[in-house]
Amino acid sequence: MPTLTIDGKQVTVEPGTTVIQAAEKLGIFVPRYCYHPGLTIAGNCRICLVEVEKAPKLQIACNTPCADGMVVHTQSSKVNQGRASVLEFLLINHPLDCPVCDQSGECDLQNFYMQYGLYDARFQEQKQKKPKAVPLGPTVMLDAERCVLCSRCTRFTDEITRTGELGIFNRGDKAEVGLYPGKTLDNKYSGNVVDICPVGALTDRDFRFKARVWYLSSAPSICTGCSQGCNIDVHYVIDRPHLAEGARIMRLKPRYNPDVNKWWMCDEGRYGYKFVDENRIRQVSHRGQAVSWEDAYSSLAASLARFKSDGRLNEIGILPSAQQTNEELFLVRKLFKEGLGIKNCDIQVPSPAGTSDGFLIKPDKNPNTMGAALIGFPGASKPLKSTNGSSASGHIFDKALSGEIRALWVFGHDLVKLFGEEKVKALAASLELFVFQGSNDNGTARYAHWVLPSAVFAENDGTFVNVSGWVQRIKPCFAPLADSLPDAQVLLELARRIGISLSFKSAEEVFNALAAEMPAFGGLTYERIGLQGARVHQKEPAAR
Amino acid sequence: MTRQPVFDFKKLEEQAKEILSRYEEKRAATLPLLWLAQEQIGHLTPEAEQWVADKVGKSIAQVREVVSFYTLYHTKPVGKYHVQVCVSLPCLLKGSDRVIAQMKERYGISPGQTSRDGQVTLSTVECLCACESAPCAQINRQYVGCLTDKNIFEMVIQQTSTGRGGNLNLPEPPLHIAADGPVLSLRFKNSQGTWFDSYAADGGYQAAKKVLTSMKPQEVIDLVLKSNLRGLGGAGFPTGRKWSFIPKDSPKPKFLVVNADEGEPGTFKDRYILERDPHALIEGMIIAAYAIGSHKSYVYIRGEYDRPIERFSKAVEEAYAKKWLGKNIQGSGFDLDVVVHRGAGAYICGEETALLSSLEGGKGFPKLKPPFPAIEGLFKCPTIVNNVETLSCVPPIIKNGPEWFAKLGSAKQGGTRLYSVSGHVNRPGLYEASAAVSLKELIEGQQFAQGVRAGKKLKAVIPGGISAKILKAEEINVAMDFDSLMAAGTMAGSAGVIVMDETTCIVEALRSASHFFADESCGQCSPCREGTGWILKIMNRVRENQGRKVDLDNLLSIAGNMEGKTICVFADAAAWPVQSYISKFREEFEYHIREGRCDLASHGLVGSNR
Repeated sequence: MPTLTIDGKQVTVEPGTTVIQAAEKLGIFVPRYCYHPGLTIAGNCRICLVEVEKAPKLQIACNTPCADGMVVHTQSSKVNQGRASVLEFLLINHPLDCPVCDQSGECDLQNFYMQYGLYDARFQEQKQKKPKAVPLGPTVMLDAERCVLCSRCTRFTDEITRTGELGIFNRGDKAEVGLYPGKTLDNKYSGNVVDICPVGALTDRDFRFKARVWYLSSAPSICTGCSQGCNIDVHYVIDRPHLAEGARIMRLKPRYNPDVNKWWMCDEGRYGYKFVDENRIRQVSHRGQAVSWEDAYSSLAASLARFKSDGRLNEIGILPSAQQTNEELFLVRKLFKEGLGIKNCDIQVPSPAGTSDGFLIKPDKNPNTMGAALIGFPGASKPLKSTNGSSASGHIFDKALSGEIRALWVFGHDLVKLFGEEKVKALAASLELFVFQGSNDNGTARYAHWVLPSAVFAENDGTFVNVSGWVQRIKPCFAPLADSLPDAQVLLELARRIGISLSFKSAEEVFNALAAEMPAFGGLTYERIGLQGARVHQKEPAAR
Repeated sequence: MTRQPVFDFKKLEEQAKEILSRYEEKRAATLPLLWLAQEQIGHLTPEAEQWVADKVGKSIAQVREVVSFYTLYHTKPVGKYHVQVCVSLPCLLKGSDRVIAQMKERYGISPGQTSRDGQVTLSTVECLCACESAPCAQINRQYVGCLTDKNIFEMVIQQTSTGRGGNLNLPEPPLHIAADGPVLSLRFKNSQGTWFDSYAADGGYQAAKKVLTSMKPQEVIDLVLKSNLRGLGGAGFPTGRKWSFIPKDSPKPKFLVVNADEGEPGTFKDRYILERDPHALIEGMIIAAYAIGSHKSYVYIRGEYDRPIERFSKAVEEAYAKKWLGKNIQGSGFDLDVVVHRGAGAYICGEETALLSSLEGGKGFPKLKPPFPAIEGLFKCPTIVNNVETLSCVPPIIKNGPEWFAKLGSAKQGGTRLYSVSGHVNRPGLYEASAAVSLKELIEGQQFAQGVRAGKKLKAVIPGGISAKILKAEEINVAMDFDSLMAAGTMAGSAGVIVMDETTCIVEALRSASHFFADESCGQCSPCREGTGWILKIMNRVRENQGRKVDLDNLLSIAGNMEGKTICVFADAAAWPVQSYISKFREEFEYHIREGRCDLASHGLVGSNR
C-alpha cells in the first residue's frame, strides 16, 4: 500500500487510489469539474492540477495514481497559477449572466473563480454563440453557452442509465452538449444530470426560478417514494411565503449513500414531493365539521374505552400503513394491539406493484414495508390479492363490509381508490366509528367520520427500514402544516387518555424502546443509524 | 424537383455483416459503416444514423457525436462536385486564397455554400498533405494540384464522368520525387512498382522470410534497437524500445496499429509509400507483428487519402493471395490478419491514442495516460502504434543489417528520412536523405529543392511540420535529425519542411497556423479547446489590422498557459508557433499593430472564412 505526502500530511492508501481520492481522505479538497466519483475518469477539465515533486509538469489529481513516496502539493503558487489559467480558459466563452442564472450560489465556476481566479478579464473577442434555454425534456433545461464540456452528463447517460441521449457534438470551441435533433431527455433518472452539472448549463425545470439557492435550508432525509429509501436532502424555505406560492419544499436532492443509492435518485422520487405542500388536510374534522384536537381526543378515547368495556374489541379494525415510521408503527402496536388488545390490526390492503427497474426504483411504493413486517404487521409484506366482501377471507376490510367490524381506523390508505367508492360509502353509513388519520385529502377522508391530519415525512421524526434492511432516519425540516400532527404524538395522547402507560417524550425514546424489544433492531440507536443508516439484524425474506 | 433519395439499408446488410466481422468489438465498425451508409446517397440521413447505431450498439446521439466530429461525414446533401480547397500554410503560401476567389468569381459561392444549381459545393479544408502540388484541392475524392490555371475547376468538372463518391478519373498529379533511395524511395519512380510482382522481383519479402524462418522475436527487437531506427511519425521515439514495452506474459491479444493518418501540414511522405511501395509497408508490418507477437494489424489511413487507401487495400489483397498475410504465412506457422481502416477527417487522429479512440469507433479523443498503449491500447489490449515510414524502414534494416542502417544517419538516429519540402522553393517535392542532412542542403541542394524561388530571399523555415517552431533564414545551418533540431529549439517532427520567402507575411502565416489548430482541436481539454479559438480570434483581428498593443503579450501568455496542461501535446503544438513566430518576428507583428497595415505581397488576399 503506497504512502504519500500531500500538503505535508502523510496518507497510506489502497493501490490504485488516485491523488484526488487520497487528498479527500486527508480532508483536502481539490477543485474539479469533470471528475465525479460515480463516473469514469475523463480528465478533460484540467482544474484539478496538482504539483507532484519530480514530475516535469503539473498533473491532474483525478488520474494520477498514488505512488509510494510521492510528494504532492495542492496549494503551491505553481498550482494556483495553473488553476487560474484553466479558469480563464473556461470562462472566456462563458456568458456573464450570473444574475439571471439559476446555478448562481452553487456554481463551481463562481466558487473556484473566487478561490483561484480573481484575474482581470483579458478576453476582448466575440464569445461563441450556442443554444440557450432549450428544454431537453420534462425535467431539464439546457444552456449550452454556460457549459464547460466536462462531459459528466454524457457520461451519466452513457454509463449509469445507459440510455445515451446526451452527446457532445462537433469539436474545438464549437463543441456543444445536446440531444440528437428531435429526441428528448426523459429517462427515469434525468434529474441527476442537473445535480452533477457543475455549472448552470443544465438546470432543473421544476426548480428553475423558484428560489435563489442561498435562501434554501437543507435537512437530510429519506425519499418515501418507494422501498429503496434513497438518501436525500430536503431543500426548503420557510420564511419567504412569496416564493413558489408559499410552498416550503423547493426541491429534493440525492444524498450520497454507498449502500443505498450512491449519488443518485429517480425522477419519480425527486419530483414526488409536491404532496408536502399541496392538497393537505389542514384541520381535525368530525362529519365535515372542523373540531379541535381536544374534542377528537376525548371523543375517540371515550369511543375506544366503550368498545373495550362492552367487550367488543373484536369489532374494531385498525389499518396501519407502511408509509408510517417504525416509531409510529411501534406505538400502533403498543396502543391498539397490546394496550387495548385489538386483534384486527394489520396492514391488510391490496398493494399493486408499481413500476420498477433493476436499479433504484422498487415496485413497492412504501418506504417502510420491511419495518412494518419486523414490528409485527406482516400484512405489509404479504399484500392482499383481492377482497371478496365476505368475512370468510379474514381480512379487516371484508369484516367491516360484512358488519363483523363496527369501528375502523385507517392510517393514510385511500380505501376509495383501493376498493371503490360504493363500498366505502356503504361502509361509512354502517360503521359506528370510522377514523381516517392521514396527511393528504382523498376519497376516504371525505367519507370517514373523523379526519385527523397527519404530519408528512418532512415534518416528522423517525426511521424506516428499506428493502435491503437498512434502518434510515428522517428528521423534521419544519413544523407540521396547520393543525396536522405527527401520528406518534396523537397515539401517545390517546394512550394517555385511555390509561395505557406509554411515556415517551421523543421519537428517539420510542425507538430505544423498540430496539430493546424487537430483536431485529437490537443494539441500534439514532446515533448508530446516523446519516448513513444501519442494518437490521435479520433480513425478512418476504419484503419486496 | 428531384425526389429526395431514400436510404435503403437492405442493400447494405451483407456488406455491413462483413464489416462487423473484421473487428473485435462491434462499436469499432462505426466509421466504416458510416462510410458505407454515406456512399449510398451522399450524406447521412437520420435513418442511416439509426441504422449504424443499431448495428454497433450505440444510441443515435452517440453516433451523431462521431458524425459531427469528423469533417468527411455530411448530414446534409452536398453538391455533385464537392470542391475542398486546402487553406493550410503550404497551400496558402502558393495562393490557395486566389483559388477561393476564383471559385467565388466563377460560381458565386463562398466556402460552406453550394451553387444554385446544386452542382458545386465549396469548402475549405485543412492540410490535404499534397503540399508538393500546392495549391491543391480535393474534388469529391480526387486530389487535384498545382491549381494555377484560372479555369481549373471547369476543366475538372468537364472531365468527370463518374458520379459522386467515386474517382473522377483525373490524371495523377506530376511526380515530385527527386531522390531514389537508398532506403525508402528506391522504388517510387517505377510506375508499376506498386504491385506484388514488381516488389517480389526487387527482392521483396526476403526480409520477412528471413525473420519468420530464422529469427526469434527478441532478436528482431534487438536488431531494430541496434539500427537506431526512431519513430518517423514525429515523436522520434526509438522503435525497438517501443516494441520491447509489450508485456511478454499478457494473455490478451496484441495489436499492431499502423498510423497512416498523415495530416501534419507540410508533410506528404506516407502518401507516397502507400501509393508507390505498399508492399514495403506490409513486409515491415509482418516483421513488426512477429517481433511483438501480434496476429492482427489495423492500418488507419486518413479518410481523404482515397487513392492511397485503394492502392494499399489492393496490395493487401495481393499479399493475402500470395500467402504473405493470413494464416500460416509461407508455411512458417505465423498468422497475421490486416484490416484497412478509413479515417474520416480529423488531424488529431494522428495522435496515437486518439487514433485508437477513433479505431474503436469513437470521436478522436486522445486518451489519458497511463495506461500507455503498449500495456492497454486498442480494445484495452497491448498495442504498438507505428508510423508508415517507420515500418517501411524495417525490411531494409533486416536485409542490409542494422549497422548499415545506423551508419546512414546521425549518432543517435539511424537511416534516412523522407523530407517533404513545400512552399517557396524552386522544386517542391519529396526527398530521401540522411537523417543528418542539413536543412540548408535540403532547401538549396540541386538534388533537393534547388533553392528559394527565383529572385527571392529566404525569410523563414518550419523544419518539421506546422507544429514545429519556426527558424529564421540565418538558422538553417542545422542537421535535420531529432536531437540536432531539438538543440536548435525546434523539432524534426514529421520532417515537413515549409519554406517561406521574403514575400511572406509572418502575421498571415501565424493566422493560418492558428486557424489550423483551432479547426483541429478535438475540444476535449479546456485549455486547448478555448485557447486555440482565442488565439485565432486575436490573430484574425491583428491580420485585419485591428490589433491592439496588448495582443502580443496576451498571445504569448495564452500560449504559455496552454502548454503542458492537456491530455495530449496538441495544445503544446498549437502554442509553439505562437511563441516562436512572435519572438522571432516581433517587429513585424508590432508593425502590423502599430501601422494597421502590411507591406508584403502575400497579405491582403482572401483568407479566413472562420
